[in-house]
Amino acid sequence: MIIEMKNIRKQFGDLEVLQDISFGVDSGEVVSIIGPSGSGKSTLLRCATFLETIDGGEILYMGQHAAHTDASGKAVYVHHKELQKFRSYCGLVFQQFNLFPHYSVLKNLIDAPVEVQHRSKEEAEETAMELLRKMGIADKADAYPYQLSGGQQQRVAIARALAMKPEILFFDEPTSALDPELTGEVLKVIRQLAEEKMTMVVVTHEMPFAKAVSNRVIFMAGGVIVEQGTPEAVFDNPKEERTKQFLRVFER
Amino acid sequence: MTFSTMLSTMAAGMLRTCGIFALTLLGSLPLGMVIALLRKSRFTVVRGIIRVYISIMRGTPLMLQLLVWYFGPFYLFGWSIRGWRFPAMIIGFVLNYAAYFAEIYRGGIESMPVGQYEAAEVLGYTKTQTFMRIILPQVIKRIMPSVTNEVITLVKDTSLAFTLAYQEVFSLAKQISASQTSFMPFVIAGVFYFIANYVVAFAMERIEKALDYYR
Repeated sequence: MIIEMKNIRKQFGDLEVLQDISFGVDSGEVVSIIGPSGSGKSTLLRCATFLETIDGGEILYMGQHAAHTDASGKAVYVHHKELQKFRSYCGLVFQQFNLFPHYSVLKNLIDAPVEVQHRSKEEAEETAMELLRKMGIADKADAYPYQLSGGQQQRVAIARALAMKPEILFFDEPTSALDPELTGEVLKVIRQLAEEKMTMVVVTHEMPFAKAVSNRVIFMAGGVIVEQGTPEAVFDNPKEERTKQFLRVFER
Repeated sequence: MTFSTMLSTMAAGMLRTCGIFALTLLGSLPLGMVIALLRKSRFTVVRGIIRVYISIMRGTPLMLQLLVWYFGPFYLFGWSIRGWRFPAMIIGFVLNYAAYFAEIYRGGIESMPVGQYEAAEVLGYTKTQTFMRIILPQVIKRIMPSVTNEVITLVKDTSLAFTLAYQEVFSLAKQISASQTSFMPFVIAGVFYFIANYVVAFAMERIEKALDYYR
């Protein structure tokens, strides 16, 4: 298991956003998380990538605890220095890209590897250029983010996350901020990564994509996992009424 | 007094004006950043002190503040204020402008989208790295127009040094005008201030242009 999340609880005020959620991802697995907005999908990703702290439960990466629950039922994280190690295991691609606008595309890709991981600039540049070629935007290395289309920006964001050589990559609705004609180029890149056995968790509303690319689909609603299974099982033969109801919206 | 004597006396005063200007910026630009960061401190007491400091600096006239810095030590503690004129003046200017710059910085920092912090956090940047590498460079670009405004105001505010009888260009203009019963010193002072601000505006515009490589 790359990541294991056990009995995750998370509250925002009185609202229980995650209610006792457990899930794990194996190496090379591609998991799609679908569900209505407000179901806790994004929060789950943000907890997995340490942008949010959980209230209860356990988070393990590579079998090691990043957070556990103590006797009083409160979540305890490892020391923040050690947490850096766990951060390096995971990457996150945001809905809004969140590229650094004052850095060129290449600088966006090499800054963290050099400054955070202390890799050599030459090695980081080599990795970066290779990733940009893979994303089909090697000619944009010296451009600034504002000069790129949304689809290109998101591909840079994916390359930036991959440049850190994470064990697992999380995507938080990677195509939701894009014009419809630009979603294809981003989905293609993710599909390509899936073929290369990159471990990935994708929160998405692109149902055909989720069906085609994932090994497992998780349907979340109201802060719980309602149903999960192979894409065929969840999309073609959903067992739960809530799942059927949700999927019906997409059939139209 | 010949015109050229007048001009050279006042040019010397203008040099002192530039001195106040430069020292004030040198002190208040960095100090403003410290204050802006302290204002967001996790300690309530620190935040409270900074808040009071800023509201006093903005809520009372700079002229009054200069007088308090200069005469305060004598009236409050009975200390001799010989040789204290220049330091008092610079302290007064620096502390006043630092408060304004702090508010400009704060506005700039608060205008940064949270996504920039989150992207940096996920990539493993420390808080210091995030601020120095990601946030600050973008904040500087965003606040340039407001900083330009403030810097131009400072050029003119240096004339308040006349309240402490410091011989900068405005004090000299008043003195020479009175002694020579001439209007000319004011004209010269006006031209000097205008040229100084023209240079400032030009320099700031160059900086803004240099930061124009991204949006």
